[in-house]
Amino acid sequence: MHAKSTRREFLWQSAVATGGLLLPAQLSWAAPSETKMVITKWTGPSPQSPTEFAKIATQLTEQAVAALGGMSRFVKRGDVVWIKPNIGWDRTPELGANTNPDVVATLVRLCLDAGAKVVKVGDNPCDLPQKAYASSGIADAARKAGAQVVFLDRDRFREMDIKGERVKTIPVYPEIVESDVVINVPIAKHHVLATATLCMKNYMGVIENRRVFHQDIPTCLADITRFMRPSLCLLDCTRVMLAHGPKGGNIEDVAVRLTLAAGTDIVALDAFGAEMLGRKPSDIGSIVKGHQVGLGTMDYRSLQPKEITLS
Amino acid sequence: MKRRLPFRRWIRRVVQIAFLLAFVGLILATRPVPGETPSWWLKAYFLADPLILVMTVLAAHAVPLLALFSLVTVLLTLILGRVFCGWICPLGTVHALTGWALDKVQKPAKRRDTFSPWQKAKYYILGGALVMALVGGHWITIFDPLVLLYRTVTTSLLPAAQWGIETGANAVYQADPRIGGFKLTSVTEPAYQYLRNHVFVLPKQAFLGTGLILAFFIAIVAANAYRRRFWCRYVCPLGALLGLLAKRPLLRRKVTSESCNECGLCTTACHGASASGLGTGWKPSECFVCLNCSTTCPRDACEFTFQPVIWRKEPAVQPVGLTRRGVLWAAAGGLVGFAFLRATPQGRGSVYHPRLIRPPGSRPEPDFLARCTACGMCMKVCPTGGLQPAITEAGLEGLFTPHLVPIIGYCDYTCTACGHVCPTEAIRPLTEEEKHQIKIGLAAFDVTRCIPYVYGRNCVVCEEHCPIPEKAIYCVETEVELRDGKKRRIKLPKVDPEKCIGCGVCEYVCPLDDAPGIRVITTNETRHDRHQALLPEVEGEEELPY
Ligand code: SF4
Ligand code: SF4
Ligand code: SF4
Repeated sequence: MHAKSTRREFLWQSAVATGGLLLPAQLSWAAPSETKMVITKWTGPSPQSPTEFAKIATQLTEQAVAALGGMSRFVKRGDVVWIKPNIGWDRTPELGANTNPDVVATLVRLCLDAGAKVVKVGDNPCDLPQKAYASSGIADAARKAGAQVVFLDRDRFREMDIKGERVKTIPVYPEIVESDVVINVPIAKHHVLATATLCMKNYMGVIENRRVFHQDIPTCLADITRFMRPSLCLLDCTRVMLAHGPKGGNIEDVAVRLTLAAGTDIVALDAFGAEMLGRKPSDIGSIVKGHQVGLGTMDYRSLQPKEITLS
Repeated sequence: MKRRLPFRRWIRRVVQIAFLLAFVGLILATRPVPGETPSWWLKAYFLADPLILVMTVLAAHAVPLLALFSLVTVLLTLILGRVFCGWICPLGTVHALTGWALDKVQKPAKRRDTFSPWQKAKYYILGGALVMALVGGHWITIFDPLVLLYRTVTTSLLPAAQWGIETGANAVYQADPRIGGFKLTSVTEPAYQYLRNHVFVLPKQAFLGTGLILAFFIAIVAANAYRRRFWCRYVCPLGALLGLLAKRPLLRRKVTSESCNECGLCTTACHGASASGLGTGWKPSECFVCLNCSTTCPRDACEFTFQPVIWRKEPAVQPVGLTRRGVLWAAAGGLVGFAFLRATPQGRGSVYHPRLIRPPGSRPEPDFLARCTACGMCMKVCPTGGLQPAITEAGLEGLFTPHLVPIIGYCDYTCTACGHVCPTEAIRPLTEEEKHQIKIGLAAFDVTRCIPYVYGRNCVVCEEHCPIPEKAIYCVETEVELRDGKKRRIKLPKVDPEKCIGCGVCEYVCPLDDAPGIRVITTNETRHDRHQALLPEVEGEEELPY
């Protein structure tokens, strides 16, 4: 047929090639002068209605991205962007099992404003995809903001060579790694085994056969994070789930924090998230592992995160 | 000589195809939509089926209100005869189409279209079934034509089509062929995605027992080569029921004997083999009102006319000729057959099949069997694809009735779809709150398989997915000794029988996809008072007093 590989193949090959290079030093390539981490917090009166909550979540997101230097720092004109929220479960936003829909919608808008050609939103849910996308409120919100909501197709995962310490090859969703930018936007919550599920763990939504990861979560998460080469990550702590995670279902397990952290150092963000959940970063295997193998620093304070309070 | 209105045949054909397409359309529309309860009209065909109504009334002593719609079919039959068979029944249309296709390849000499006494068989089958229903079961509804076709389409034809579409679309997607500047995927992808998001229930849907169900279907379709509409003439119990109602319809065939020269063209054209000889002896109980005879007759000797009252003697009608002996034998057959069906350990309720996990809201087994027609609507609507036809689990009587096979799909925590589509309420329609009170089984770890128990590593994927907010699976930290003598602390999962509802998602997600480390069995299922092996826990009692 065609001697030249298609764009899809080409991108895939290059993604594999670069992802495969074990060069942790490259991972935080943001120039030193650029802000690496921002924390935005709402200190005003607590929201009385879903609309007020949505407004606050939107502002927290906008301010965080602005403080990092604006979306154009990450998204170039004509880029294909994949926003990867946590849409794991068939649970409503109040239960804190999925990323806040307004945070996701705001990111969609910011990407489009920065000139993105197309913004795709998608995850590989644990519950039934149709239900999780709907009850999380993310599908609706993202579509309204102009995104293309994508359901991952089980037949289309491709076994990729990720050359990790423990995970050598794994089926990855090609459309995600082929995107020019992947924005990682999870919610901070409790996890029975990993203690917490944060940014690194959110990458489990781009792969299949992930059930085996539980046998050594820290190393597997480090492997997949290295492969994904994180750029912009946002950790949604507007609501955090403190127990019975990751699926939850009890409103009593959810605490409203109205906080959001964003940045380019995924380990630092996770360390911050651990504290939001009332844990020490050193309690969480994947954070320690990420720090050890150079994916970032677990001493997030050393990055002197910009703190912005809104009210 | 003028030929009478041959387009009447085409009117009938168009109507038949329309009803067949509507039937398939309703099957396709029977799919779960998040946040919506399936509408009642999805079961329209079953509601119009008087056989299901009669069977449910006799076997379960219940009158499903919506099923009273089938009285319309009864009325229609009293007036017009078996128009249901000739114009409406989708399985009848499948047979008619097969016959039409066979006509192109088979010599007319092969056809025998005068009445055969064996056509009485279906009335005896119906008789046996009615007696069976009277004593509490209605196994025969496995042979109801609508049920049969629904099940076949749902569990074999559609999954096969879906396999073809999915495989084809993926092959095109991977190869990404271009013809000039034209990418084939620009057509296949939108089409495939539309089907995936709006037609298929879930990716790669498949059913157990597909081969068996299909084989039966192929056999009855192939029988058309022996006699046209073999099924309708000889077997169909619904046809028999309608036949009894159509003994003296208002619409009657009349042959003017002066014009008829007994050429036999009408007989060859007859769908139902309703005449006992060339052009004579019309049996309305066997007539599908296809109108082929009157359309075919070159001498216009045969026509259908309306009679004002049922008891009019003219034009004369012929009975089918059922004998009292035959009826008695049929009744005895039904009685004895039922005795054998229920004279099994499971039928007597002295043991329970551990894997006969019925959908939530299912009635106790005997009542369930008295109602469930094994149509497969619940299996079609189940969003996880976990509801599967039982092959051996429910005995012969429960052949093809639904049960949950968790390794294929689980019962989704917030779904109540199956109870809302069930035409006979064998599965009761539940609200979400009601459903959460119902246990369909109980999970049990297989400690010879479960990864933490056997290999000393963490896993607990099952715990992660358990939908109960307080979690029916909990973990106990335990120290295990490794091969080199080192110690490791791991989390051992356990099941709390109080909390577990038996949804089976734990079994579904367990990484061991052959023999999972946790399995759901029917112990403690709410629907059986006697199948309760575990006493409820008493609050705050750690030490059990012996
Ligand atoms: S078995 Fe469960 S998931 Fe399937 S249709 Fe019934 S209620 Fe829904
Ligand atoms: S998912 Fe399977 S192997 Fe893992 S803990 Fe549960 S039962 Fe055991
Ligand atoms: S069957 Fe398994 S997942 Fe379902 S409630 Fe019971 S323990 Fe939880």
